[in-house]
Amino acid sequence: MGHWEYLIVLAACLLVTAPLEFFGTGVYRQASRAARAILPVAIVFVVWDALAIAGGVWTYNPTYVTGIHLPFAIPLEELLFFLVIPLCGLLTYSAVNATLARLRRKDDRKARRR
Amino acid sequence: MTGIGYTIPAVIAVILVCAWEFGILHTGLLRKPGYWISMGIVLAFQIVVDGWLTKLSAPIVLYDDDHTIGVRFPFDIPVEDFLFGWAMVTAVLLLWERQRPKADQADES
Repeated sequence: MGHWEYLIVLAACLLVTAPLEFFGTGVYRQASRAARAILPVAIVFVVWDALAIAGGVWTYNPTYVTGIHLPFAIPLEELLFFLVIPLCGLLTYSAVNATLARLRRKDDRKARRR
Repeated sequence: MTGIGYTIPAVIAVILVCAWEFGILHTGLLRKPGYWISMGIVLAFQIVVDGWLTKLSAPIVLYDDDHTIGVRFPFDIPVEDFLFGWAMVTAVLLLWERQRPKADQADES
């Protein structure tokens, strides 16, 4: 996988979580709400990332990244990380809530029938 | 092993997210069972993905031991990553909750 490895990991995260979109009202279908949740947090974490890279707190193995960099030596993959992982988190949260709501409705119906 | 560069900022991030919710936003997110179930699922996936990113046999991300407390668990994940991940995902969920459409209130999704 070499230089593509980090990108492939992120793509796998998107692929695995994609079906969660259909559990409830979805996240991709509320793209602007998702953007307003993800982007402000991503900005803060990208700044944190830039400071950590500058301070030598962590570095990226050149073997497993494309080598495409943003300003402040941030690998492209890192920016994508701050978009992809929160998106996966939102999809999980949305699907869990939809499932809980469905179970609650089922319980209500059962209770009414009694 | 001072923890200056990663451990301390990671702890501060968690405190800031809690302060943001309990002092300003008041979304009630942290009292919802759905939130904690979701974070359990996120944690399980973090162990897989982060475990892959940080494995010492072929690491994608390399940490300077001077900036962590040096505890790597499970696999080779620096424990600070769990604070970092919790703060990031929780902050995003807080903003998502704050923008809940009115018609959606009952459905909770």
